[in-house]
Amino acid sequence: MKVAPTLEGGLRIDAEDLGDWEILHAILHDARRGDADLAGNLGALISEEAGAEDWRDFVVPDLREEFGDQISKVARDIEGAMEQSGGEAGSIWISKADGFIWYGALNQARLAIEDLHHFGPSEDVSMEDLHPARRSAFFRSQFYLAIQSMLLDHVMR
Amino acid sequence: MADTDTLTQTREEVATASPWNVLVHDDPVNLMGYVTFVLMKIFGYDEKKATILMMQVHKAGRSVVWSGEKEKAEFYVQQLQAHQLKSSLEKAE
Repeated sequence: MKVAPTLEGGLRIDAEDLGDWEILHAILHDARRGDADLAGNLGALISEEAGAEDWRDFVVPDLREEFGDQISKVARDIEGAMEQSGGEAGSIWISKADGFIWYGALNQARLAIEDLHHFGPSEDVSMEDLHPARRSAFFRSQFYLAIQSMLLDHVMR
Repeated sequence: MADTDTLTQTREEVATASPWNVLVHDDPVNLMGYVTFVLMKIFGYDEKKATILMMQVHKAGRSVVWSGEKEKAEFYVQQLQAHQLKSSLEKAE
């Protein structure tokens, strides 16, 4: 798999085979993990004095919808590109306008992984002690982080 | 019938609402560069100020990134949360 900036200020992800498409699909699987409620978790930071009830009623549903839309858009991009390539080599083109949406969906995937595995700062993670499932989750998180860094440096700024 | 005079007294009171702080909390997921980017985007801070605030978040676990009237503080926290940053508001002391 290759990820590179485009001349139009976006990003292109080149998948080389079915394995790469499966890795990209994992973004959706991680981000959609059932028990991760990012909007609800953020809303829980608002104290009663600051208006927690109104926040739960009015802000959290909007955020939940916005976060869901980010995942839906990325799902359309990945599934559309995969279908077009027939599971063989193919590319996903992320436009400059979609940079934040992609960043947000990848962030949701990483937050869900962190929620489940509690890795903490990546430099503190020792590979030797990790169960294969946790190791795989850690590598996925690092892969998503690499795409996020490219989006931040080449697309969003 | 006695004349009566009415004395009218006007007393002015200026109520100053207590300011509210907007807080950003540290988390292990968001990139430091992203936090700086979001603070610049939402508050219009220059890179130097946004970086100082981001480092406070990183080292102290939280930072007051803005203070002012409650309605505006709520708006900013909503914006920060829409960018998936852990944020909240509290009454300034």
